[in-house]
Amino acid sequence: MEQQGSVEGAVLSLTDVAFAYPGEGEVLHGVDFALRAGERVAIVGESGSGKSTLLHLAAGLEAAARGQVHLTGQALAGLDEAARTRLRRGRVGIVFQSFHLIPTLTVLENVMLPLELATDLSAGERRERAAAQLEAVGLGDKGARYPEALSGGEQQRVAIARALVHEPALILADEPTGNLDSRTGETVFALLLEQARATGCSLLLVTHSHELAGRLDRVLTMRDGLLQSAGSTEAAPA
Amino acid sequence: MSLLVLRAWLRDWRRRPLQRLLTLVGVIIGVAVVLAVDLANQSAQRAFDRSMDEVAGAATHQVLGPASGFDEALYRELRMAGWRDTAPIVEGPARLPDGSTIYVLGVDPLAEGPFRGAASDIGDVPVQRLVTEPGTILPPVGWFRDSGRAHESRVTLEAAGGAREVTAIDRAAERDQADAATDEGGGSLWVTDIATAQGLLDRLGRLDRIDVRLTDAEVDVLAEALPAELELVPVESRGQAARELAQAFRTNLTAMSLLALLIAAFLIYNTQTFAVLRRREVIASLRLVGVGRRAIFGVVLLEALLVGVIGTLLGAVLGIALAQVLVAQVAQTVTDHFFAVAVTGVTPRPLALGAVFLLGVGLSLLAALAPAWEAARAAGAGTTGRGGLERRARRWAAWLAVLSMALLLAGGGLIVTGAGALVGGFVALFLLIAGLVLLLPWVLVWTLRGLAALVRGVTLPRIAVRSLERSLSRSAPATSALTLALAAAIGVAVMVGSFRGSVEQWLGQALTSDLYVVPAAPASARGGARLPEDWMADLVARSGAVSVSTGSSQEVVSERGLVDLYVVRPHANWLDYLPLLESTVAREALGERLATEDAVLVTEPFAAHHDVRPGDRLSLAVPGGQRPFEVLGIYRDYGNPSGTVLMTQAAFVRAGMPPDGVGSFGLRLPAGVDVEAVVERLEAWLAEQDRAALVTRPGDIEQESMAIFDRTFAITHLLRVITLVVAFIAILGALMALQMERAREFATLRSLGLLPGGVRSLVVLQGGVLGTFAALAAIPLGLGMGWLLIEVINREAFGWGMDLRLPWDEVVETVLLGIGAALLASAIPAWRMARMRLVPALREVP
Repeated sequence: MEQQGSVEGAVLSLTDVAFAYPGEGEVLHGVDFALRAGERVAIVGESGSGKSTLLHLAAGLEAAARGQVHLTGQALAGLDEAARTRLRRGRVGIVFQSFHLIPTLTVLENVMLPLELATDLSAGERRERAAAQLEAVGLGDKGARYPEALSGGEQQRVAIARALVHEPALILADEPTGNLDSRTGETVFALLLEQARATGCSLLLVTHSHELAGRLDRVLTMRDGLLQSAGSTEAAPA
Repeated sequence: MSLLVLRAWLRDWRRRPLQRLLTLVGVIIGVAVVLAVDLANQSAQRAFDRSMDEVAGAATHQVLGPASGFDEALYRELRMAGWRDTAPIVEGPARLPDGSTIYVLGVDPLAEGPFRGAASDIGDVPVQRLVTEPGTILPPVGWFRDSGRAHESRVTLEAAGGAREVTAIDRAAERDQADAATDEGGGSLWVTDIATAQGLLDRLGRLDRIDVRLTDAEVDVLAEALPAELELVPVESRGQAARELAQAFRTNLTAMSLLALLIAAFLIYNTQTFAVLRRREVIASLRLVGVGRRAIFGVVLLEALLVGVIGTLLGAVLGIALAQVLVAQVAQTVTDHFFAVAVTGVTPRPLALGAVFLLGVGLSLLAALAPAWEAARAAGAGTTGRGGLERRARRWAAWLAVLSMALLLAGGGLIVTGAGALVGGFVALFLLIAGLVLLLPWVLVWTLRGLAALVRGVTLPRIAVRSLERSLSRSAPATSALTLALAAAIGVAVMVGSFRGSVEQWLGQALTSDLYVVPAAPASARGGARLPEDWMADLVARSGAVSVSTGSSQEVVSERGLVDLYVVRPHANWLDYLPLLESTVAREALGERLATEDAVLVTEPFAAHHDVRPGDRLSLAVPGGQRPFEVLGIYRDYGNPSGTVLMTQAAFVRAGMPPDGVGSFGLRLPAGVDVEAVVERLEAWLAEQDRAALVTRPGDIEQESMAIFDRTFAITHLLRVITLVVAFIAILGALMALQMERAREFATLRSLGLLPGGVRSLVVLQGGVLGTFAALAAIPLGLGMGWLLIEVINREAFGWGMDLRLPWDEVVETVLLGIGAALLASAIPAWRMARMRLVPALREVP
């Protein structure tokens, strides 16, 4: 059931959202934005413009100072840390710029982790699904290795597998190619897009690259804490 | 070195004060414990030496007789024979109303001139009063100040002669000048006139010794001239055994304090490594702008120097305060076992302070060397990261394991060969400790790998365990610190428990009578006090005793110096109860031979100190010269750490030794008799006698003995607690460091959906794993330390053997304490990690 303030049919919606880090000025100044089911949107902008912050708010990693964030129809405001975490782990997959794989777990175990945290699957089922997901990103033979034994591109592919394995409604990707060379970045980006399409999940991607952004359904620009349509000075339509 | 570089480095103190505080605490506690034990030891040693010197004065030799003393007429005869440099002495311990033990020295001020300055100035008013006013006594000057008594006050002293009231005169007040400096305000020596001392110590008409000053040529002449029952002995031979034993006791304490310092070193190393790792960005940036390796190395060491200096200064202040507590305990132990000493204060010696300063600062620098080297190796950003360090740590763990084997072999070799005696024992102990501590990282790696394999498929425990293994440079030193502390606790528990159990068992065996009648005197004075032998018939008549034993101690001259001789007239089946360790004779034949031949038994400490074996002969001075006695066996005894020679009354009399009264009567009562009624009858009869005596039950003696025992080891318990506190701080620091370094991983887990409670569980699980490992590793190490303390160190130090008893309840308690401490230490980082803000942690450079 949709809650008040939530945009109908949206996987993610932000309404008049503002945010400031402790001791600093406002980073976001009243952002309105909605992401529909299956939609793939890119946010571009200068460093420090607030695009990653928007992603963190969408994931519930930070709480908005003002306004409403709804994730799959559920308002994040008023939820405590644990409730936000439960919501995130079931419905969101995150891909970070610097991979954030757990170095003490093997590649397969890293991919199994969201299943362990978010589902009631048996150990065997978890292993099976994780292995299939690794196969899907082309790393089926690397499951027993530790992340440090993989190249940067391979590590990011593992991160994509980990973000998708529990079939979330939304993938949040923060500069997923930022730590990779252009050729590897291209491959990883293509894989991310392909997997998102294959699973039908929504994708919100933050990037510096206008070229990559242009390959998504919609491109928004973050400038001085405000979200604008690419090439437009108007706020993006909800 | 650039001031800006230094500033860039040291500003971290403001950012992370808790980490710096932990380093400081390590230095402070380590330094404080070492200094406190050293000061307490030195103060007790000075008090002991001062007391011995005051008692001996400037004499070169002493004329000694039986324990009950000898006729004072002998002194007059010596003087008349032309021996002018002589001074008669009556001496012994007494007890003050507050329970403290003092030493009464009865002198003849007229003869004291060449001997003791304090009691020789007959022109001095207070000394004159000793002669002219019976019942006056000169306490140490500091006593008036400490007790708050008036300058002249009546004091009741309890000694061999019973409780007597005397007038204590303040020497300084009488002289109208404060000369406390010469008396150092302390001491336990109370000087009085010989007549007063004779009354107090139950020596009417008798002397304990005569001090003499002799040239080398005169020694033999006087020895020849003395009556048969008197012996001439050099002054140095008296107190030597007590001096050596007190030294052994202090060595034990010093070793304990060094262990605390070693554990503190782990803490310092841990926090210094962490300080460097936390600032790897600063190091990388400094290197990038051209700061050289030497400057980086220097700045880390400079910081360590600063921490060392501040920590040592604060540790010195704490150490001096702690010494005030410890010194009373050390002095009490010396008084209980060796000689009555009183220490009124702790005077830090510049040399001790200097040594501790060097130790504290040196340790801080030493602990910072490896981190400084790591920092200097860094060429740019990321190179000082954990990955490289941890890989090196794992490599080092294997090499350290090889080194540990060498140390363990060396330690084992020392134990097997027994080389180096007591010092060798301690070296072996430290080699074994060092060997096992160096082995721990390697064992920890494989244990964690095994655990990780066990929890394969259970993701969170696997993360916890693997993360510990990957942070070996952090987890190994903390675990070592905790293991050491717990092992020391177990080792001391095994040693004290075994000792206590053996003493209790021995008391049960030694106290074979139902009641004892002993002179009314402090426990430490009873050995020399005597009761009339003809009381025996009256005691039997009033108690209905079926058997009466007697025993009395005295010092006799042997070819091995002055020895303690215990003369017994035992109960019929006494040998059934005697804890005989070795004998050349069957137990059944032993009683007969001891009664009919020139034969003795010796205690275990005596055999150890004098290297005597069954079958050896021991020459004792008897009237008419030296007489050899065959040592028939060695028995266990904890009564006298210097050792005792046991002789039957029959052999004693046959050897022509003069009858010497009775030190104690032991009464065996008929079965079913009302013991309390017997006690009442005996007490009523004793009250009518002119000698003060007490009726005591074996239980009372056991209680008093065990109280002395517990006082002796109270200080080791205190050190144990301090050691555990340091280890707790070490593991707290390590876990905090570990979690802070893993903050990014925790943030990732949280972003993937791990709840705050899950993070808390993970951190607590890590604490639990480290604590359990340390506790389990501490069991074999602790038991080994306990065994070494019992079989090597205490045997070498005191000559006491004891049965190894494993106090499992204390071992289990210590293990649980270790695990509990680690879990408690993990509570703070768990709470911090669960509450951390995720986004800043996610942004941290891996």
